[in-house]
Amino acid sequence: MHRFVRPQLLLRDSKQPLLPTAGQLCTNHKSVVSSVRGYVVLPPTNDEEEKAMLHRMMRVDHAGEYGANRIYAGQMAVLGHTQISPLIQEMWDQEKQHLRKFNEILAENRVRPTLLLPLWNIAGFALGAGSALLGKEGAMACTVAVEESISEHYNCQIRTLMEKDPEKYTELLQLIKEFRDDEMEHHDTGLEHDAESVPGYQLMKAIIQAGCKAAICVSESL
Amino acid sequence: MAALIRGLRAGRVLRGLGSVAVQGTLSPQCSNVRRGFHRAALLRLANDSKSDTSVPPPSYHEVDTAGESSSSSAHGESSEDAQPNTSFQDQSGEHGEDYETEEQLQARILTAALEFVPQHGWTVEAIAAGAETLGLSSASTGMFNNGAGDLALHFVAQCNAQLAETLAEQNNQVQLGQAESKKTAEFLRDAVEVRLRMLIPYIDTWPQAMSILLLPHNIPDSLKHLSTMVDDIWYYAGDRSTDVNWYTRRAALTGIYNTTELVMVQDSSPDFEETWAFLDNRIKDVVNMANTAKQVQATGEAVVQGLMGAAITLKNLTGMNQRR
Repeated sequence: MHRFVRPQLLLRDSKQPLLPTAGQLCTNHKSVVSSVRGYVVLPPTNDEEEKAMLHRMMRVDHAGEYGANRIYAGQMAVLGHTQISPLIQEMWDQEKQHLRKFNEILAENRVRPTLLLPLWNIAGFALGAGSALLGKEGAMACTVAVEESISEHYNCQIRTLMEKDPEKYTELLQLIKEFRDDEMEHHDTGLEHDAESVPGYQLMKAIIQAGCKAAICVSESL
Repeated sequence: MAALIRGLRAGRVLRGLGSVAVQGTLSPQCSNVRRGFHRAALLRLANDSKSDTSVPPPSYHEVDTAGESSSSSAHGESSEDAQPNTSFQDQSGEHGEDYETEEQLQARILTAALEFVPQHGWTVEAIAAGAETLGLSSASTGMFNNGAGDLALHFVAQCNAQLAETLAEQNNQVQLGQAESKKTAEFLRDAVEVRLRMLIPYIDTWPQAMSILLLPHNIPDSLKHLSTMVDDIWYYAGDRSTDVNWYTRRAALTGIYNTTELVMVQDSSPDFEETWAFLDNRIKDVVNMANTAKQVQATGEAVVQGLMGAAITLKNLTGMNQRR
């Protein structure tokens, strides 16, 4: 998707607290909020290390949501005309929302997306389609495995941010917690719909989770 | 941040060493000592040239690093200042606001050195000449471990900062409605032209600078500068992509910039007309390629749709689609 916008420059009075309304134009304080919303998710920082850490986190989260998106797309491609399709479609829509949010954050904060996106595109679709070929249970098992990995990853990030400075990262923590809760919901939905009854469930789950871990590791830097 | 703390530490040490003479024979063990001496000499001379300095009494302060502590202890044992130093009148001992970090001093020297590049080339001689115009001894080139590389990288960083400022200003004007927003191709063309025009005063010696920037130990830094510049240009051109386009666009612009730079250094036409014509053509090429790619994708999608339709029709005809 090609997105071309002119940078939205809003000068926010840095002394005022973050308000959930449109930003105000103030020429005294030069803190620039390049967003149409009145608040930012990533706190602005001058520390290079902190900025690098936040960028890495956003990069890998973006890659994760992109991959999840493609997994559901693959599942829908196979199971799109069955009884389970409304459920998968609902979960897919939530993932699309997450991806949209991360696209926004990346664009606002000039974070570089991971170079491996085309790889996750293909791999995600293949995983989704492949697991769906094992039937509805296979698709649910794949969902359970992936969502568990993602939730674990988000929990890790939440822990890291809480250790550093919970107050500074309030919005970011809120966002990640919200997304983590959504992913846990998907995980539970998968379990409810007979994920465990697929033959080779444990093996499948282990392989998928190993793959997810590797993907997360690599997407952080690359 | 870390650099600032280093600079503050250096500043504190040097103020303590303010009244100590620079000895002719330096202790050979530690290059840090020599650096410390250089810094002391530079700041002493720099303080001389400044009219208002408040310097604490000549007691040496606690320092953190081993290197600097060895230099400070060496200084502590040396004799008092032989030359009368009229600037150290103030014995209040408080830190003056006018001391600068080492980075700032280096930046000032390198900026001054740029003046002498047409004369001396991108060399240590130019840095020495620049230091002398600031009233510092030419031995201050010892501060620059990378020599000419430091000068070239400083110039590149300075140009990029200027470009970013110009682009931000233009963007501001567009936001405030005072200027028209440009189309992407035009914007890229103008941004690259602005950036390349900054090379014009140094164009005769620029091949030397380019080769310096391509030395293996300079490549990481020069690549970083290049990628930041290209990212800035695309950001202000309005690129907000978060997929592989992020990479293809920046790669394309990097290619355009580098090739145009090469054309520029051997261009002898008035006001580099040929270079700008070359730039125009390259940008047109990239835009054409992008359009062609879009067309190919659209065609491909249409073909796939057609095939799917044909397959479904076939299935219907052969009765395979009926639910039994």
